[in-house]
This record gives sequence, structure tokens and C-alpha cells, in this order.
Amino acid sequence: MTNDYTRGNFKAGLKSLLSTRLRSFWTMLGIIIGVASVITVIGIGTGIKKQVSHQVQHLGKDVIVIRPGQIHGNTGVGSAGVDVLSGLNVSGALTTKDVKTIQSIDGVSAVAPISVSVAKITRDKIPYSNNLIIGTNGDLPSLLNQSVAYGSFLNYEDEGTYAAVLGDKASKRLFDEDLPLGRSFFYNGKEFVVRGILNPMNTTPLTEQADFNNAIFIQEEIAQELSNNTAPLYQIMARPEEPGDTAKISQKIDAALFKTHGYQKNYKVVTGGKDYDSNGTVLSLLTQMIAGIASISLIVGGIGIMNVMYVSVAERIHEIGIRKAVGATNRQILSQFVVEASLLSLFGGILGVALAVIINLILRLLTDLRPAISIEVALLAVVLSVLIGVFFGTFPAIKAARKNPIDALRY
Amino acid sequence: MALIEIQDVSKLYGFGDATTLALDEVSLNIEKGEFVAVMGPSGCGKSTLMNVIGLLDRPSHGKYRLQNKPVDSLRPNQAAKIRRDTIGFIFQSYNLVPRLNVLDNVALPLMYKGVAATKRIKQASIMLERVGIQEREYFMPNQLSGGQLQCAAIARALINDPKLIVADEPTGNLDSESSRLVMELLADIHKNGNTVIFVTHNPELTRYATRVVYMHDGSIIHDEKTAIGRVASTARKVAEKSLTNDEDHLLAGVSTIMKTFPTKPSKSSKSNKKSNKKIKRKKQ
Repeated sequence: MTNDYTRGNFKAGLKSLLSTRLRSFWTMLGIIIGVASVITVIGIGTGIKKQVSHQVQHLGKDVIVIRPGQIHGNTGVGSAGVDVLSGLNVSGALTTKDVKTIQSIDGVSAVAPISVSVAKITRDKIPYSNNLIIGTNGDLPSLLNQSVAYGSFLNYEDEGTYAAVLGDKASKRLFDEDLPLGRSFFYNGKEFVVRGILNPMNTTPLTEQADFNNAIFIQEEIAQELSNNTAPLYQIMARPEEPGDTAKISQKIDAALFKTHGYQKNYKVVTGGKDYDSNGTVLSLLTQMIAGIASISLIVGGIGIMNVMYVSVAERIHEIGIRKAVGATNRQILSQFVVEASLLSLFGGILGVALAVIINLILRLLTDLRPAISIEVALLAVVLSVLIGVFFGTFPAIKAARKNPIDALRY
Repeated sequence: MALIEIQDVSKLYGFGDATTLALDEVSLNIEKGEFVAVMGPSGCGKSTLMNVIGLLDRPSHGKYRLQNKPVDSLRPNQAAKIRRDTIGFIFQSYNLVPRLNVLDNVALPLMYKGVAATKRIKQASIMLERVGIQEREYFMPNQLSGGQLQCAAIARALINDPKLIVADEPTGNLDSESSRLVMELLADIHKNGNTVIFVTHNPELTRYATRVVYMHDGSIIHDEKTAIGRVASTARKVAEKSLTNDEDHLLAGVSTIMKTFPTKPSKSSKSNKKSNKKIKRKKQ
């Protein structure tokens, strides 16, 4: 009986909303925008978090990164700060000596330096400029969780030889064949032989410009030799033998470097996990804040629903009078209007989710953001909007239900 | 035991100086099975009396017993249930819900009673057949003529099989043909043993009634039994007088009913004058 009655109310509410389609839509717009913005903001937040954590996972959470306090310029002349403090600049850099220091520490399983220089190379007498030359050693693939597609990576046996490994994009850019294994190119007058090609990397552990996919990897010693020891070490990566020892090992590294650097703290020891954690906290704080602002628009949408319900009640006082005259109780009138208000906000919520999905697609197409819409958030937003609709729809409904039948009929 | 017992019922509107007396200590008993016509000039309190009887309005003073139960101070929800189950109200302006089709309008009281959808639609359809507009059951109210609308309204009033039908000028907006149709329907309902009270300005329609009540300035001034099929004697006089109503009387505000009883004012009209004086004194 109750079910059937509710269904009747549902039908009546639907009819009433459809008969004033345009007004219903404008009313819902508040809820639609509110729900869509809440879902989108939370989606962008979780998306960024996912992207960041993906990068960190790609690096490996237990990887320790040592960076110089400041990276000094390749040329050494020309910038304003260099004239006075050029001597200090050098002391801030990491050197291959530091790599050896870290390698000698107990409990460190893999250490790889990364030096970066941009240089011109020639292949079959064709010059290619702006190549990213990365000097490193055989430990790099394991530290980056990176696999080799063809051939093999640099190893300790060929230290001091002119072997090179190409990133996925670099191999396509520099050579006119798919598999340039064994081909050679010239860099600084020396001939390098390609001995391996890497699989494409998911993310770039360096900066946007320094894409590992576009890099040529050579032995660190050779890189130093060819650039006259001016190629700075961008960073040193290290991994402890036991994954849980990251904190302990990073302290050991810190202490050892402090000694060799003449008791100056001109470098940073960073663990991936720590970086990620602080980023995550900031991100989720930001997401919460923006979601809070977005939920204000949800409430504003609710107030819009209340206004429209008031108008809807006012223009239907006569109808309320008729309904009461034929025997509707206050509760039955009340439930009719509450059902109508909640239908209004339910549709608003569902349309809001749809809008959020569309925004998500547009963002994915036009930007690098990868917003993630979770079903839980969408459901929560819809439920919340229905609750707001019921809450704000109740006041006008109470007003409607309390009318004296004959007073209502006089309108 | 009378179906309706009204004792000294008054209804006041407004406050202070603006107070108007719509019903002035009206007492009326109506037995089960009566077909009562209520006549009187505009503003004499007929509609107010109908609203009080139909539980749409509450009396300011006085007692009202329906089916031997006091109903003058019921809570809104209890009154709603009596309206739903015991009383069928027919309005001059039909009062169908414009957004619902005829069938849904007729089924409305059943919905509030909690009857299942298919069952109440079936019942409403049968009732519409009885009032003769079944072929229009899926029309919207704005697609029907006045007579058809009133038939639908009557069907709605009858759907819960009420003991009492209250009709406030059911033929007021209708042409003579539709009026006859509506009155035949009410007569039919009366024949089935229901009690019918209706308000009319048309003396001809007293032919259908078994009893005619005349009202003036909120009081009942005359009450007569009449045979079905005959125009009530007083009503006939009123009708004749109204044809010869002159300008002086109009200016003095003398109504045709007052002229009908110029020499022998009835008991109730005396009390009416008294209370009028009382009110005048109050106003001063």
C-alpha cells in the first residue's frame, strides 16, 4: 500500500517536473554544477596523486637520490653569480669520487651516477644537435626499473670503452633503421658503437626537457673525459641491499659524504618515499580545500531548489486545496512535495556526474592531467545532493501541507 | 438519529471592525436520505454553510455532529479522512487538478485512501461510465466542456461511496442542458439512498429536492418540505417576485426573499434581527 502510494507520488512528481521542464533544468543547474565540480576536483586531485606515485614507484620507493646543493653551469662563465663565487660553485657539485664513496658503504647494492650534457653528434657525416648525453654506469636500469629492448645496457666490463645505449626516441631520431645495433656515431671526435636500445619509459624521472627516452647513455668516465670534467653530476642514485633499510642507508651516505665534502652540507640526500609522502599530504590538503569550496556550490544549488519549491508551492496552492478537499492528509501533501524536490535533486546529481565525466574526457584530451573519477565519490555526491534536495524541499512542503483546505481553494 | 446535526453554528471572518458574520447561530438537522436544496441571495452564507458541513472550514462557534460524532474540533488529519471516506464535495468551479487527466482526477480520493493503482483506475473508469463520460477518461480537464467537467467532479465525489454529497452551486456555471444532466445525476445518487445537499439560485431545480432551506444574512429564514417533481411553493413566489422586483426595493437593499415574508417573519428571522442588533451595538 505504502509502496504503491509512493509510486503514485513519484509519477505525480515526474509529471510536475516535466510540465515545467525549463524551470526544472535551471533549478537543477546549481546542483549539476555543484556535483560536477566536486567530482572533478576530487578526480583531478586523485589523478595527480596517482601520476606522482606512479613516477615514484617507477623509480622504486627504496631508491635514495643524492643531489648537489647547486648544479653549476656547464660553461662556468657568463652568469652573474659566477664572478665572485666561482670557487664555491665547484665545491657544491657531486663528483665521481662521491660515487666511489657511496659504493664503498656497506649495505648499498647499486649506485649509478647521472651526468647530463647537451651536445652535437654526427652520424654518417650528418650532424645532429641538441642531444642529451647521459653519463652513467651499469646499475642504472635496475635503479630505474627499466628494461632493455635490444642488445644490452652498459656494464662494468666495458668501462672506459666507447659503447652507447640509446633511448627509445633517440634511436628513432638518429638512425634511419629500426634496429641500429652495431651502428656508430661520432661525439667529440670519438666513435661510439650502439650496443643496446631501451624500451620506452613510462615517465621521465628527470625534467620535462631532459627526457630519458631521448637520451644517449654512455659510460660516466667517458662522459667526464670528453667534456673535460665539466659535465656536472645531476644526481647519484643508490639502493640499499634490504628494501627496508632506506632510512638507515641514507643516513650512512649522508655521513660519509659529509666527511668527504670537508664537513660542508652542499648536497641533498632524498629518499623517494619521503618526497612522495610530503607531496601526497599537500595534494590531499589542496584537494580537500577545493572540494570544500565546490561543496558550497552544492549547498547554493540546494537553496535554489528551495526557492523553486516555494514558487512551485505558491502557484499550486489551489491544487493543494483540491487535494485536501478530496481527503489528502497533511503528511500526504508533504510527501508529494518532498518526493518532487528529491527527484529534482536526484536528476541534478545524475546529470552532474555525467557533466563530470564529460569534463574528465575534455581534460584528458586537452591537458596532461589524468583525472580519476571514482564511483564512490560520484555516488557520494549524488546521495549528498538528494539529501540537500530533501532538506531544502521540506520547508516549502511543510508550508504547503499546513494550508487550511478552504483557504487554499480560494487562491 | 439525524445524519447532520448543526446547533448554533456561527462563522466570523476578519478581525475588529472588519468582522463579518457569515453564519449567525444557524441550527439545522438533516436526516439520512434527504435531498436538500439551499437557496438565498449571494453572500447569505450558503457557501460557508456548505464548507462547514463538508468539513472544509471550521465553525467559529457552535456544535456540529456528523453521523452522531462531534466533528467541529477535529484535528486536520482526522477531518481529511472524513472528507475522504464520508463526504463527497462538488464545487461550482469543478476544481479538477489541471495537470491530471480525468481518470487520475477521479481516482485521487482512492489514491489517498491507499488503493492500488490498477484497482483505482478500474474503479474510476466504472464511475465515469456511470456519469456518462467514460469515452473521455484520458482527456485533460482543459479539453472538456463545463458539463463534462462537472460530471467528472461528481464521479470524483462519488468514488469513495460517501454517505453525504455536498454540492455548492453545482449548476452555477452550466447551461440548462448540462444543468439538467447534473441534477439527474444527483437525483440518481439520492435514489440510491444517499443524502444530498445542494445550493442553487434556480427555483426550477427545487423540483429535484425533498426539502428546501432559505437563507438570508447568515441565518435560515425558511425551511419547507416539498414533493419531488414540484417547484417548492416559496421558491415559486421568490421567482415570481424577482421578476417584478422594483428599483426602490433594489436601492433599499430589500431582497426578493425578504419580500416573500413581509408580514409574518419566521422565528429564525427574529433571532436573526436580534443578533444583527447585537453586532451593530458591538460595532458602535
